[in-house]
Amino acid sequence: MIAPALLSPLLGTEALFDQGVGWFVLVVVVIKVLVAFAVLMGAVILMIWFERKLISDMQSRIGPNRAGPWGLLQTLADGIKLFFKEDLIPDQSDRFVFKLAPYLALLPALLIFTVVPVGGIIVISGHPIQLQVADPPIGILLVLAMSSIAVYGVMLAGWSSGSKYPLLGSVRASAQMISYEAALGLTVVAVVLITGSLSTRRIVISQSPNFWDWNFFRLGVVPFILFMIAITAELTRPPFDLTEADSELVGGFNTEYSSLRFALFYLAEFMNTITMSAIVVTLFLGGPDGPIPRFIPTSDVWMPILWFLIKTFAFLFIYVWLRAALPRLRYDQLMDLGWKRLIPFTLAWLLLVAAFVLSGWWGLGIALAVVAAGFLLTRAFAVGQGREDLDQAVLPPIGRRVLPPQLLRTPPTAGDVGPGPGSEGAS
Amino acid sequence: MIKPTLVDQYLAIFLLLVVGVLFAAGSFVASATLGPKKKPSGAKVAPYECGIVPDKEPPSRFPVRFYLVAMIFIIFDIEIVFLYPFAVIFRQLGSFGLVEVLIFSVVVFVSLLYLVSTGALSWGPAKRLQSGMPSRTSESTITRITAEADGPSTHQAA
Repeated sequence: MIAPALLSPLLGTEALFDQGVGWFVLVVVVIKVLVAFAVLMGAVILMIWFERKLISDMQSRIGPNRAGPWGLLQTLADGIKLFFKEDLIPDQSDRFVFKLAPYLALLPALLIFTVVPVGGIIVISGHPIQLQVADPPIGILLVLAMSSIAVYGVMLAGWSSGSKYPLLGSVRASAQMISYEAALGLTVVAVVLITGSLSTRRIVISQSPNFWDWNFFRLGVVPFILFMIAITAELTRPPFDLTEADSELVGGFNTEYSSLRFALFYLAEFMNTITMSAIVVTLFLGGPDGPIPRFIPTSDVWMPILWFLIKTFAFLFIYVWLRAALPRLRYDQLMDLGWKRLIPFTLAWLLLVAAFVLSGWWGLGIALAVVAAGFLLTRAFAVGQGREDLDQAVLPPIGRRVLPPQLLRTPPTAGDVGPGPGSEGAS
Repeated sequence: MIKPTLVDQYLAIFLLLVVGVLFAAGSFVASATLGPKKKPSGAKVAPYECGIVPDKEPPSRFPVRFYLVAMIFIIFDIEIVFLYPFAVIFRQLGSFGLVEVLIFSVVVFVSLLYLVSTGALSWGPAKRLQSGMPSRTSESTITRITAEADGPSTHQAA
């Protein structure tokens, strides 16, 4: 027993502790945590190998093939190598924050996985045990909270490096991640609305009885697509990988990191990819549910886990596929997509779902309102386009480069060309 | 049979947090023990500039637009925060809840309309500057590059 009498007055959480925690529960929790950690690490090692191998297949290269069969041990070899590398801390950096950032990147990636239901319930000597590390009633909020904290890891890493490429990468990354977090949060609200619970296990169970009860179908495919776009941007995976755009920013926020600190960022990135694939499966594709056997009546242990793994793997494949197939977006395209398309669209779809759950007439009314709002938004786009012009602009335009006056087709007016190195050089 | 309690759910999350911290700290210690211990040279710990010796202070300012995005985000994040409790008890609230959220969403949507129509969310290059750009020929590029290269170098020489 953990001493509840000792802790509860300190924490003010009598309600949490009044059941007490038996030794059995404690052992189960410890085993769950250790297994989850080991499985995640193994999965990350395999995922890095899988991505490298698949992308080289798609690009007609051979890829890693030296360490172990089919190069399977390549990631492990790279990891061990990084242990022996020099751990540099740039002298311009903020040392404490520089060291803190890898923790802030890794821990959220780990913790998100705790709420993913991997399988059903197994019974060991009369004790039912959920195949899920934890099922707190706030389940899906933990995912959102952790993905918000992950922004800090990226932002502080770039800021504390004291170098220009990491700073640019991290500023871009944080703006991108918070922009798409809004769209992400709104799509998840639709899932919560139809389930009536934040707990991930409840969300999975509510999708179970029939194949068409998957949220993918129930919410009408659109939220799933929006969620996939938002989550890809949130993960800063291609085609949204502006944060580490190699051709402009060297390596983005982790340019100054070396040795194991770099390895941890890399680890966190791939762990996030895996956990977010699992979250997509949980929210929209019924988690461990599969055609045979159905998740709810079955007491089978292995088939649900197998279904879960197959579905998660399919998404991992899609992420690699996207990377091989799509070119990177431009920054203004990225922000336009996030703010001007995804956020209004997700909000409209959420209201539509809510209205149609209530009654058909409400649904029809909201649908009309959404169409009207769409027209308003199109008008606002048109007005906003005009405002990008210099003399009407609210803010100085991004990417404004001062050109030598002889190069301008139209002679510059006063205020159009400010003092700058370019104009000095021309005179 | 033990009743499922809340505390063991949160305990698992906390334990994984501890395992994660231990793993990260442990690997830093291992890396410090195994890695080379000689003091790195001044060039090595200098900010990375693709091999060029940095001659400017590291940048501490970036476009104000990024701050603006962060501020706008707060509005939408707060909206999402309010939507979650609504979504959980939506079936109990019925049409009352829908109307409330509708009014709330309209307010947020109007603020989005305002932001879009003032161009606060536009990141593209200014239209005027684009039309002022010459059509690119190899000659114009050479002129431009020369003009740009002359600028800083004459500045430094002075």
